[in-house]
Amino acid sequence: MEATEFVLPNVWLGILVVLALFGVFYYVGWWAAKKTTSEEDLYAAGFAIGPVTNGLAMGATWASLATFMGVIALIYKLQAPFVYLWIQWALSIPLLTLLYGTCLRRMKAYTPASFIKVRYGNEAAYVIIAWLCLSMVMYALGQMIGLGMAFEVLFNLPYNYALIIVGIATVGFITIGGMYGASYNAAFQMIVMIIAMVVPMGAIMKFMGSSGWWFPPLAYGDMTAAMLEQVPTFFDMKYDYRWYFALIPAFTMGPIALPHLAMRVFTSSSVKTARWSVVWFILFLGLLFAGAYTAGFAGNYFTATTGNEIAKADQTILILNVFYNPAIVAAFVVGGAIAAGMSTINGNLMAIAGLVGGDLLGIIAPQMPGKKKMRWGYVALAIGGVACILLAFKPPKFLVTSILWAFGLLATTASPGILLGVWWKQANKVAMIVSSVVCGVIYIVISPHVLSGIVVGKGLVAALGMSEAMLTVPLSFASFIILSLLFNKMEVSAPTIEDKKMIDRIHGWGSDYDEKRYNGVSMPAVLVILSIIIFIWGLQPW
Amino acid sequence: MKEKLYKKELSLTVIFVIVLLIFGHFAQVFKLFPGLQHGHLWGFPVHYIVPILMGWFGLLIVTIIMAVLLNNFDDEMDEYTGSLEDK
Repeated sequence: MEATEFVLPNVWLGILVVLALFGVFYYVGWWAAKKTTSEEDLYAAGFAIGPVTNGLAMGATWASLATFMGVIALIYKLQAPFVYLWIQWALSIPLLTLLYGTCLRRMKAYTPASFIKVRYGNEAAYVIIAWLCLSMVMYALGQMIGLGMAFEVLFNLPYNYALIIVGIATVGFITIGGMYGASYNAAFQMIVMIIAMVVPMGAIMKFMGSSGWWFPPLAYGDMTAAMLEQVPTFFDMKYDYRWYFALIPAFTMGPIALPHLAMRVFTSSSVKTARWSVVWFILFLGLLFAGAYTAGFAGNYFTATTGNEIAKADQTILILNVFYNPAIVAAFVVGGAIAAGMSTINGNLMAIAGLVGGDLLGIIAPQMPGKKKMRWGYVALAIGGVACILLAFKPPKFLVTSILWAFGLLATTASPGILLGVWWKQANKVAMIVSSVVCGVIYIVISPHVLSGIVVGKGLVAALGMSEAMLTVPLSFASFIILSLLFNKMEVSAPTIEDKKMIDRIHGWGSDYDEKRYNGVSMPAVLVILSIIIFIWGLQPW
Repeated sequence: MKEKLYKKELSLTVIFVIVLLIFGHFAQVFKLFPGLQHGHLWGFPVHYIVPILMGWFGLLIVTIIMAVLLNNFDDEMDEYTGSLEDK
C-alpha cells in the first residue's frame, strides 16, 4: 500500500486564505477593542451577546482543531466507537446551562471560579482556579501545537518558525479584542468551519460515487455495503458496556466545568437568551460533527478502495481534499482547521484572563480600581498566550497526548464543587477542598502518564482517563457529600446564612429565603449510593 | 405556590438531565439491548445512524423544549417574586 502525506499543491493559495482569515480576525478585534471599556466588556462581552451569535460562538469554542484532525484520525483508526465518543460532547453546554449556567449568569459571574469564591471562600477559589488554569493551559497548548503543525505543512516552514508566526498572530487579535472580539470572531470562525467541513465533503462523496453527495453529513448510506465489503468491522460496537458507560464520568462530567464553555453562557444578553443559544449551538455543532463523522468514514473508504494508506491519520480530511478537490478548496479546508484551533484558543485564553485577572486579582487586590484590574486582565491574557507558545516549542509529551485525559481530571476536581455548591446548601468549604485535592491527586497517580507503575485500567481506556474517572469522579462526589455532613456537624466551616441566601438568589428566588430549600439529604444520599455502585464497578479489572 | 415552584424546578432539572444523558449516549441502548442492532435506516446500520441522529436532532428537540419550559418557569418565578415585592 502506498503511504500518502499532505502537501498543498500551491503554497500561495494557502497564504492567500490565511491572510484573508487573519484580516477578518484583526478587523473584528480592532472593532471590538473600541467597545471594551470595562471588566464586564473584557470578560463577558458586556453580557450582551444574542442567541444566534452566541450559539455559533459556543460551537466554535467547543469544536477544537481535534474536530478537523484528531476525531477524524481516531475514526480512521478505531472506527464507529469513536463516533459514539464524539457524539456525547454535544451534551457539554446543554448540561452546563441546565445545571448551573443560568444560575451563575444571574449573579453575573465571569467564570465558574467567581461562584466558587463567593460560595466557599478564597481558599476554595485558589484550588479551583489552579485546576481550571491547568486544564486551560493543557487545552490551549494542544491547539497551539496543532496550529503550528498546520502552518508547518501549509507553508513548508520549520515547526518552530511556524509556531512563532501563528502564535503571535493568534494571541495578538485575541488580546486586542477581549471577549467581544472573541465572541464575534468565534461566530465567524464557526461559519468558516462548517463550510470547510461540509461543502468540500459533498464533492468528495460525489467522486466516491455516493448519490447522497448533496448532504454529506447524513446521506452517504448508499456506501454502507461497499464499506462493509472493504472494512467489515467498521460499524461494530467493539468494547463491553462499561466502556460506553465510562464515557459519562470521563467525558460528559468534565466539560461541564470547562470555564471557556461556561463563559459562553455568561456572555448571553439574558438567562432566557442563554437557553436559546444552546438550541443554536446544538444545530450548528451537530452539522459540524456529522461532517467530521463523514470525513472519518470517507477516510476508511478511501484507503480501502484506492490502496492509498494515509500516513498521518490526523491529515485525513486534508489528504481527501488534495486528492479529490482543487487546490483552493484544500487551502480553504486548512483555513477551516486553523479557524477551529483559533476559536478554541480564543476561549482558553479568555478563561485564563478571567480566572487570573478577574477572580484571582479580586481576591488578592479587592480594592483595585476596575480600570486597573482590566489592564491586568489584558496582561494575564497576553502572558497566558505567550506561555502556551513557549511550552509548545518543546511540549512535554504527557501534555500533548492527554487533552482528553484532562476532562476526567476536571470531572473529579471541579464539577462536584460547582454542581453541589449550586444545588445543595450543606456543601461545605473544607469538604470541597479536601475531596477536590485528594481525588485529583488520586486521578493523576493512577493514570499511566505520571507513575507508570500504579495504573488502573490499561491501554487506551487508561490513557484517555476512562478507567481512572470511573473511580475518582464517584469518589469525589461521595466524599464531598459525606465530609460535608460530617464537617457541618462538627461546625467546621459550615455554610453561613449568607451562603445559603445566595443559593436561593441565584435560583431566582430573590429575597424570598427558605432554609429547607436545596437543603435535603435524600438526593445527596441517592447520589452517594450511585457513586458507590459506580466506584465498585470501576474497580473490576478492565 | 412556592412549594409547587420549588418542586417544579427540581423535577424539570432531574428529568432534563436524564433525557439529555439518554439522547447524548444513545449508543448505550444498542449495547444494552444487542437485539436492536439489526436493521437499517437510510442505508446505515441502525446502531450507527440512530445515535448520531439522537445526538443531533434529538438533542435539538430536547433543548427547544427545555428553553420553552424553563423560560416559562422563569416567568412564573418572576411573577411569584414580583407578588412578594408588591406586598
